[in-house]
Amino acid sequence: MNGETQATRGDTAQTVLEVDSVVTRFGSSVVHDGVSFSVQQGEVVGLIGSSGTGKSVLLREIIGLLRPTAGTVRLLGTNVWDCSEETLRALRRRFGMLFQDGALFSSLTVAENIAVPFRENTDLPAAMIPPLLGLKLALVGLPPETCGKMPSQLSGGMRKRAALDRALALEPDILFLDEPTSGLDPVSARAFDKLIRVLSESLGLTVFIVTHDVGTLLSIIGRVIVLSRGKVLADGPVREVAQLDDPWVRDYFSVRTQVT
Amino acid sequence: MAIGLQTVTRMSHETQWLTHAVEAGKNILFLAGPWRLANLVPISNAIHALRIDAGRELMLDGSRLEELDSAACFAIYCYLVSLGYNEKTIGVRRFQDKHLRLLGLVHERMKSPPARGKAVRLGLVQRVGASAINICHLLKVHNAFIGALAMDTWRLLRKPSLFRGKETVSQFETICLDAIPIVALITVLIGVVFAYLLGLQAQKFGASIFVVDGVGLAICRELSPILVAIVVAGRSGASFTAQIGTMKMAHEIDAISTLGLSPIHVLVIPRLVAIQVALPLLVFVGDLMGLLGGMLAADWQLGITHVMFLERLQSVLPMSAPVAGILKAPVFAAFIAVIACHMGMNVQHDARSVGLNTTSTVVQGIVWVILLDAAFAVMFPWEI
Repeated sequence: MNGETQATRGDTAQTVLEVDSVVTRFGSSVVHDGVSFSVQQGEVVGLIGSSGTGKSVLLREIIGLLRPTAGTVRLLGTNVWDCSEETLRALRRRFGMLFQDGALFSSLTVAENIAVPFRENTDLPAAMIPPLLGLKLALVGLPPETCGKMPSQLSGGMRKRAALDRALALEPDILFLDEPTSGLDPVSARAFDKLIRVLSESLGLTVFIVTHDVGTLLSIIGRVIVLSRGKVLADGPVREVAQLDDPWVRDYFSVRTQVT
Repeated sequence: MAIGLQTVTRMSHETQWLTHAVEAGKNILFLAGPWRLANLVPISNAIHALRIDAGRELMLDGSRLEELDSAACFAIYCYLVSLGYNEKTIGVRRFQDKHLRLLGLVHERMKSPPARGKAVRLGLVQRVGASAINICHLLKVHNAFIGALAMDTWRLLRKPSLFRGKETVSQFETICLDAIPIVALITVLIGVVFAYLLGLQAQKFGASIFVVDGVGLAICRELSPILVAIVVAGRSGASFTAQIGTMKMAHEIDAISTLGLSPIHVLVIPRLVAIQVALPLLVFVGDLMGLLGGMLAADWQLGITHVMFLERLQSVLPMSAPVAGILKAPVFAAFIAVIACHMGMNVQHDARSVGLNTTSTVVQGIVWVILLDAAFAVMFPWEI
């Protein structure tokens, strides 16, 4: 256990995620044509792009759910697509993933959902789990009475919070969020953004967000990567990217200025 | 300046998680090493091995701390609070900024009660009661659905152009044509088994030829309708519920209503009509295959030739037996379709509910088929 922790500390000061010339093809359609970027420890990075540019596909390739046609993905120093099943399993305990609609297990209560990672991946005695679950619920701002409810009884925002809780249960080094604010009203969306910021700052998380939400981008994201036509179109601080001379990027950011 | 430094932790590997010292009348706790969830068990042991004089002020020292996460942070705070310390009496020093933020966050949120959230388990009596209430509720909503179905059917009769012919034919294909192989296989086997077992008895009395009477009557009047209805309830009933339930979950049924269409016209009536036509035809297939099975078994076992079998069958099997069997089929079909479609419409917005409702459809379908069959046997005994 200690050895692993030491290794973690060795690489956390540097790059936690490195995507190198990833190519994805489905039949004859090319989704990614050499996508490369890297993410440093502690960064909050947003990935944007118009619909169909393969943002979610890229995310699935990073977390080891879908094999890219070519290229490498190094996550926390491990090559995701060239390592043993055992290494991959150990790696999966070190990142959290929030799926778009939460993906809470519908047959378990909220508390049982959040307890799953503890039960399956740690050797904590059973008596230590409930108090921890209580803290976890409070960390994401869910009232204590939520714990006995089924996911279907929760509102969209609460479901996302509970799912975030499950993603954070094992205290991951890096958190992946797929469209965290989709389906939420603007007020809940901003509250959720704020929650992510508070947690990422306090827990020292690296956060990688796939999003469409300009509000999220402007409020919590330091650096943004734009995917377009299978390539990385831009990569830099939000302010710089917003000035970029590209029709899609211009339209994307002007939506916000038109509204305000 | 450390006075009376005492080591109270148990050594875990080479890490000493927690060291207690008393400086200038204050308890000082030095946290050391990676305080992470993965090490929570040794950390928690170290915490509970502490012997602190709770009367003194307390200071946490983070100078030797390498990492900290919320679970470990929670463990030490919980212990200190149980000793009677609170935010005013716990001091912190020499922590990294990010660890200070974490300490602050955990301290602010830690008052929440433990979350167990076990699903409630009912006792025996409660379960029986809950099931009874569920069944009553189910019957009630089935009735309401039949009412809605009747109203929509009435609208359809007045305006037949609303009827969806293509959808009905396509449903008929999956319910009837695609089911023929499985129905044929099951009934032929039952025909063989039934004739064989009956033959064993009949042989003892030298009454082999009566096997034909028994097989003909049993297959046509009871076995074929029941078996075919059960196969269709399992096969098509389950698929109705799963299809409609998935559409309900994806809000497709709401979309149908919003477009000014009736979900009953679009989804339920084509299935209902298709299954009502399909089931009698399948029962007829079942009759033929069951008799074929009986004929083969009678030939092998009792030496009754095919010609003798058919001649005897013609003279002893009243036409009313297969007709009664086939006439039962549309009634079974109506129950299966109404239950299956309603259970599909009844799905809640979670994935589990589709599975539960599909199971429930099959169970209800089979129970109703057998109940109805019993009722028919009592109500119309005169066909024999």
